[in-house]
Amino acid sequence: MAEPLIAIEHVEKVYRRDALEIPVLNDVNLEILQGEFVSLMGPSGSGKTTLLNLIAGIDQPTRGRIVIGGKDIARIGQSELARWRSRTVGFIFQLYNLLPVLTAFENVELPLLLTPLKRAERRRHVETALKIVSLEDRMDHYPRQLSGGQEQRVAIARAIVSDPAILVADEPTGDLDAKSAEEILVLLNRLNAEFGKTIVMVTHDPKAAARAHRMVHLDKGVLHADEQTEAGAARKA
Amino acid sequence: MKFFNLVWRNVFRKKTRTVLTTGSIVLVLVLIVVLTCLLQAMEQDPSGNRGSNRLVVQHATGLANFLPLSQRQRIEQIPGVVAVSPQIWFGGVYRDDKPENFFGQLSCDPEIFFTKLFDDATIDPAIEKEFRATQNSFVAGQSLVNKFHWKKGEHIMLRGTYIPVTLDLVFVGAYRSGDESNAFFHNEYLNQAKWFGANRVTGIYYLKVADAADLPRVTSTIDKMFENSDAPTKTLTEKQFQASFMEMMGNIKGLIRWISLIILFAVTLIVANTVAMSARERVTEISVMRTLGFRPGHILGFILSEAVLMSLLGGLLGVVLAKYLFVPGMVKGMATTPMAPFLINFKVTGSVLLAAFLISVGVGVLAGFVPAIRSSRIRIVDGLRQVV
Repeated sequence: MAEPLIAIEHVEKVYRRDALEIPVLNDVNLEILQGEFVSLMGPSGSGKTTLLNLIAGIDQPTRGRIVIGGKDIARIGQSELARWRSRTVGFIFQLYNLLPVLTAFENVELPLLLTPLKRAERRRHVETALKIVSLEDRMDHYPRQLSGGQEQRVAIARAIVSDPAILVADEPTGDLDAKSAEEILVLLNRLNAEFGKTIVMVTHDPKAAARAHRMVHLDKGVLHADEQTEAGAARKA
Repeated sequence: MKFFNLVWRNVFRKKTRTVLTTGSIVLVLVLIVVLTCLLQAMEQDPSGNRGSNRLVVQHATGLANFLPLSQRQRIEQIPGVVAVSPQIWFGGVYRDDKPENFFGQLSCDPEIFFTKLFDDATIDPAIEKEFRATQNSFVAGQSLVNKFHWKKGEHIMLRGTYIPVTLDLVFVGAYRSGDESNAFFHNEYLNQAKWFGANRVTGIYYLKVADAADLPRVTSTIDKMFENSDAPTKTLTEKQFQASFMEMMGNIKGLIRWISLIILFAVTLIVANTVAMSARERVTEISVMRTLGFRPGHILGFILSEAVLMSLLGGLLGVVLAKYLFVPGMVKGMATTPMAPFLINFKVTGSVLLAAFLISVGVGVLAGFVPAIRSSRIRIVDGLRQVV
């Protein structure tokens, strides 16, 4: 069997509020292979966003290991983790979270400002990313001049512009109408199939979850079920 | 530089707020530049060092008391003294009591005044000759003449205040000098009027010493000479004498410095509030940037840069307004007031520009420091959860 790209081993997460300890994840074990599209499902408070944050390296587990690409990211310092994130993970948020003062082009360019790329090279990368999400004609538009679906596509372009191996998406269709949501899911499927991106997506929507290869169910911080979807079965076949 | 665009856009994210905050910095910088330049001007010699060998002898108890005219001869005999002119500050009313009609009215000895004492002033020899020859004549600084539009041969009436006489003076011409706010007339003309001090007393003695190195010796000789007389003296350099007028108003320099510090502190709080509000509104955005790989140091740098940029913009505009509008305007507006001698060196110097730059940067750093530290320490997951 192939080495997993993401290996979560006996992970626990406890939040502390003053003297109160709130367990959020309890002995979670999960493996995700390179090129897989996994959806995390579960009721509110089940710990799925926390698990996503741990995979993305923006939060640290209380116990356990999170090994991504052979590196235990729970054991590395904040600065190195920031550099690792910028190279390895692309983020897609429910509310897009574009910077309103920057144009679509500038928003997508943002992660590249941390690289040694020259201005012309950055432009080439940004134009490519915007072309993939079919927004090359909107690059000078500010977020307020775009629809919700377009904003989310810009956010996806920002997530893929530095060519990360993993995309993490937290309810990427949660704030969109059905048509825009479908467009985003098609785009995610394309990024997974054509560009080989490993995608971990948190969603409440069973239809959206069905677009993934696997559905992982969490409840009260415990992993309850890990099932293959029809899309996953078709992929294997 | 590749981050400058982001910093610039964030500074102008809320234009009204930025304009108001920058406006407060502009006002403060104008005030500080003007006050600092005024302080510098007050500390400099109005004659451009040409008056460095002139002394003023006044009564030891102050300008309110007269000195006997008999002292003149004894002062003239001190080795090194070139010329001595008794002078009285007449302080009369011209036209009416309105402050704009007030100007310096001083008696002098016309025989030596422009030739030996105020030889740094420029006066047409024909005017100087006529001034000496005509006992009821007066000459005035060009700025004062321009203000009152006096024509040659024009009579003016000065109604005395503490000296109960009215002078009828004839204008003969103007002189040019660093300080053009005064009018000079004959001691003799004042002595001919009937008042208690006529031919007996003077307000001060203005004198010139051949060598500036002799000033300490001449100063102590004069003061020792009259130490035990009915009219003890206090001898000052011209610069000290002019500065003493400011001291009459109390420790004005100290006051100005304290006021400057207080308003600087106030504007720092204003900028800090603006930066803090701006940073607070962007907690989620800052967290998103952190997810993209920006480190706490980047965030600290951005917020601090925004504060410094805003402060520098205000500072720059303040300096430009002070240099090209307020300072020239004040110099023009006060050219004929008693403040005129202090305005000769009233200009925005390189050191003031440097100070204004450092103050602007300092205000920005101080104001941005706490919000920048706080923003850089936000935990990403907390920031992403926050609903603003």
